[in-house]
Amino acid sequence: MPRLTVLYDPTCGLCRRAHEWLVLQRKLVELVFVPCKSTEARQRFPRLDHELTSKDLTVVGEQGEVYMGPKAWLMVLWALSQYREWAYRLSTPELLPTTRRVVSLISQNRYQISRVAGLAK
Amino acid sequence: MNFGVTSYTYLIYLAISIGLTIWVARTLHKNGRVFLVDVFHGNEPLADSVNHLLVVGFYLINFGYVCLALKLSESVQNAQASIEALSLKVGAVLLVLGGMHFFNLFIFSRMRRRASVVNGPPPVPPDGFTTVQEA
Repeated sequence: MPRLTVLYDPTCGLCRRAHEWLVLQRKLVELVFVPCKSTEARQRFPRLDHELTSKDLTVVGEQGEVYMGPKAWLMVLWALSQYREWAYRLSTPELLPTTRRVVSLISQNRYQISRVAGLAK
Repeated sequence: MNFGVTSYTYLIYLAISIGLTIWVARTLHKNGRVFLVDVFHGNEPLADSVNHLLVVGFYLINFGYVCLALKLSESVQNAQASIEALSLKVGAVLLVLGGMHFFNLFIFSRMRRRASVVNGPPPVPPDGFTTVQEA
């Protein structure tokens, strides 16, 4: 099975909750979760800009392909057996701009959303 | 024993229904194979096996319906009544066959879509590349 490394923000409640949910999903692509800016992340990807990875979700493929922000979300969705079709649907030229807007909105306000949803530690 | 118009109607009904069922099943068998070979990535023995199993199910359901629908509520006395009764019965069989046929097509297309999704490429191109240090 191919593998994607997901660099997520462990300080945000929403991200932790999403991580827990993702672990339980049936997958077509193996997902490896590594906290962003951690020693492990720096060891695995020595040339990646790790400051950027703390701003947005980042996914790295086995050949070093880097997907950031909305693209990273789509790649995670694509890895899930149940949601691969959604990844294709949301990445069509018609829907991609909306996907980008919604994902950026959630991403930028993730700490507030976590607080409101009671997911913050 | 009186082998009257009703019995002849039954015989004609059976002949038409069985003929139609065999024709539709063969069409399905012949043309469905291409789909299934594609779904199973060129694994022809598996495609043939699934194809055959589908056709068997198709025959069972259709012949079952044909048998159950055979009996006329009242015996027919002349040619006109016979043709009317036949038309009603064969019409029902045609609708069932049509329904079954579309159901089969639906299954084929869903299997095919599912297979193409499972083997699909990434939905978006990467933003860039980095070096990967294996742990």
